Amino acid sequence: MRISKAGLLVVLAFLAPVLVELRTVLAWVNIELSVLETAIIGGIIIAVILVWAFLPENGDEEGAERDVSNSEL
Amino acid sequence: MSNAYIDKFPAEAKVVKAAFYSSFLALALGGVFGVIQTLHRTDIYRFIDSADYYTVLTAHGVFMVITFTIFFLVGVFTWAVTTSLDRGVEDIRFTWSWVGLMTIGTVMAGVAILAGFVDSIDISASVLFTFYAPLQAHPLFYLGLVLFVVGTWVAGADWFRSWWAWKKENPDARIPLPTFMVLTTMIMWYIATMGVATSILVFLLPWSLGWIETVNPLLTRTLFWFFGHPVVYFWLMPAYLLWYTMLPKFAGGKLFSDPLARVGFVLFLLLSTPVGIHHQYLDPGIAEGFKFIAMTNTMFLLLPSFLTAFTVVASIEHGARQRGGTGYFSWLKSLPWRDPVFAGMALAGLLFAAAGFSGMVNAGMNINYLVHNSLWVVGHFHLTVGTAVALTFMAVSYWFIPQVTGKELWNRSVALIQVVLWFIGMTFMTNSMHRAGLIGMPRRTAEPQYTGFEFETAVGSVGELNAQIALGGVLLTLSLVLFFANIIGTAFGSRSDNLPDNGYAEALSGSDDAPRVLDNLKLWTAIAVVLVIIAYSLPLMSIVDRGGLFGPDITAFPANLESVRFLAFAVEHLGTAALESAGTLAWNTLPEVIR
Ligand code: HEM
Ligand SMILES: [Cu+2]
Repeated sequence: MRISKAGLLVVLAFLAPVLVELRTVLAWVNIELSVLETAIIGGIIIAVILVWAFLPENGDEEGAERDVSNSEL
Repeated sequence: MSNAYIDKFPAEAKVVKAAFYSSFLALALGGVFGVIQTLHRTDIYRFIDSADYYTVLTAHGVFMVITFTIFFLVGVFTWAVTTSLDRGVEDIRFTWSWVGLMTIGTVMAGVAILAGFVDSIDISASVLFTFYAPLQAHPLFYLGLVLFVVGTWVAGADWFRSWWAWKKENPDARIPLPTFMVLTTMIMWYIATMGVATSILVFLLPWSLGWIETVNPLLTRTLFWFFGHPVVYFWLMPAYLLWYTMLPKFAGGKLFSDPLARVGFVLFLLLSTPVGIHHQYLDPGIAEGFKFIAMTNTMFLLLPSFLTAFTVVASIEHGARQRGGTGYFSWLKSLPWRDPVFAGMALAGLLFAAAGFSGMVNAGMNINYLVHNSLWVVGHFHLTVGTAVALTFMAVSYWFIPQVTGKELWNRSVALIQVVLWFIGMTFMTNSMHRAGLIGMPRRTAEPQYTGFEFETAVGSVGELNAQIALGGVLLTLSLVLFFANIIGTAFGSRSDNLPDNGYAEALSGSDDAPRVLDNLKLWTAIAVVLVIIAYSLPLMSIVDRGGLFGPDITAFPANLESVRFLAFAVEHLGTAALESAGTLAWNTLPEVIR
C-alpha cells in the first residue's frame, strides 16, 4: 500500500466535499450533471484512488514515511 | 500505575466526568430532535404534528448549544486550570456547587421545554434557543436559564480562585497558557452575560410572571444578541484551547507560538461582544450607522481567526516533520490519521475553514440581506458550532474519557469511523442547506414550501436538495450512535494502568517570548468594557427612546391586548345601550307620530 489505511479513509472522506461542490462549480461553466452522473464520477474517482493506494510501492523512501504514519502517536 | 488525570486529581476527575456525561446526555437528546426535524421539514418522514415543530426545534437548539457545549467546556476548563497550574481546586464542595446549579437549571429549562409536548400540562417554552420577545415561555424556563448561567459564573469564580492562590505562591511566573485562555474566555463571558441577565431578570421573567404587561421586543432582541454573538466564542474558545494546546501534542509536535496564542485570545476578548448587532442587520429600528460599526468590528475578528489558523496549521506541520514528514505537502501523510482524536480535530478544523467563508457572507451588511433567516444560516452554524466545536469535543472525548475514568477507550477504529462519518454527514447536510438558503428557503419552519410558489434552483431540484439534507442528517445520527456506543463501552470497561500521561503541548516559542503586558488581565478587561460601551450605548439609548423601556407608551394609544379587549367591551356595551335606548325612544315616539 502507498498510504496508510487511516490516511486512505481520510482521503476518501475529503472526496465528499469535493464531489458535492464539483457539481455546483461545473454548473457555472454550463455543465449540468445529474445526481446519477455525479455519483458515477465519484465512483470512478474512488476506484482510481483505491487502485493507486493498493498499487505496490516502488521506492523504499516512501516506505519509511508510511511506517511513521501508521504508528500510533 | 499510570500518570493520567484521574491519578493526580481523583476528586476533580469526578467533577469533569460529571460535566462530560451531562453534556453527552444533552447531545443525545439534541440529536434525536435533530433528526426528527430534518426528516420532517424535508417531508421525508413525518410523525409529529407540524404545530409541535417549534417545541422540537427549541429542544434541539437549547440542548445542543446551551447544554451540550457549555457542560462540556466547563469540564475542559476545570481540567485545563488544574492541569496547567498543577494544583487541585481550592474547595471541592464549592466546585460541586456550580455543577449542581447548572444541573438544576438545565432540568428546569428542559422540563419547561419538553412539557410543551404534553397538552395536559399547562407549561411550555417553545421560544427557540434565542428566546426573545414576542415569544414567551413559562417562568420555569427563564428561571432555569438564570440558575444555569449563575452556575457558570460561579465556575468562573472557582477558576479565578485557583489562579489567585497559585499567583500568591508564584508571584513572578507567567500565567500558564491554558489557564490564561480560560481566564480571558471567562472575562468575555462575564461581560457578555450581562446582556442576557438583564434581558431575563428585568424584562422576560417579570413579563412571563405577569408582573409587567409589555416589553420592548427590539430591546430584548438586542440584549439577546449582545450575548448571542459572544456565546459563539464561548463555544469556540474551548475548541481553540484544545487546538492550540492539545492538537500539536496529538500531531507529535509542539505549539508553534505561545505569544501568538495569547494575542489571539486577547483579541477575542476585546472583539467578541461589540459585534452582536451583526445578527440584526435586518431589524427595523436600529440605524444603519450602528449596524455599520458592528460590521466593521466583525471584520476585525478575521485577524485573530487567521492568527489561529496559521498557528494551528504551523504546529501540526511541525508535528508532522518531527514524525519524519517531508516535502511541501507530503508531510500531511505523516500525520497520525489513525488516531481518532487527531483525525477528528483536524477534520473539524477543515470544515471550520469552510464555515469561515459562509460567515463572511453573513457578516457583510449587504449580502446578509440575501441569506438572512434562510437555511443558509443553519448550514453555516452547523459547520461552526455543529462541527468545529461539536466534532472537536467528540474527538477529544476519546482522549478525555480515559483520563477522567481511568479506563481505556473501548474501540479506536469505531471512533475513527465515527469522526469521519460526522465529517461526511455534515458535508452533505450543510452543502445543501447553504444552497437551499441561496434560493430563499426559510429556516425555522416545518413547511418550507408554499402553495403557488416554486423555488428556482441553480443546479438540481428542490427534491434533491431536501434528499441531500436528509441523507446528511441520517449519517450524522449514525455517527452519534457510534459515539455513544464507544462512550458507554468505555464507561463499562475496567480500570487500566496503560493510559497516556496527562499533559498538554509545549511551545516552540514559549511564554518568555510573550510581552508581559499580555498577561495584564485588568487592562484588557477595561478596554473590552470601553469597546462595548462605545458599540452599544447609543443603539440601546435610541431603542429605548423610540420603543420605551417596557414597550411603547400605552396611554396615548391602546396598544396592548388587555386594553383592546376593554375597548371592545366598552364599544359593545355602550353601542348596544345606545341602540337599545334609541329603540325604546322610537317605540315610544312612534305611536305619538302615527297618532
Ligand atoms: C444529528 C445531528 C444534527 C442534525 C440532523 C441537525 C439538524 C438540524 C436542522 C435540520 C435544523 C434546522 C431546522 C429549521 O430551521 O427548521 C437545525 C437547527 C439547529 N441546530 Fe442542528 N442538527 C444536528 C446537530 C447539531 C449540533 C451538533 C448542534 C450544535 C452543537 C446543532 C445546533 C443547532 C441549532 C442552534 C439550530 C437552530 C435552532 C433554531 O433555529 O432555533 N445541531 N439542526
Ligand atoms: Cu455573530
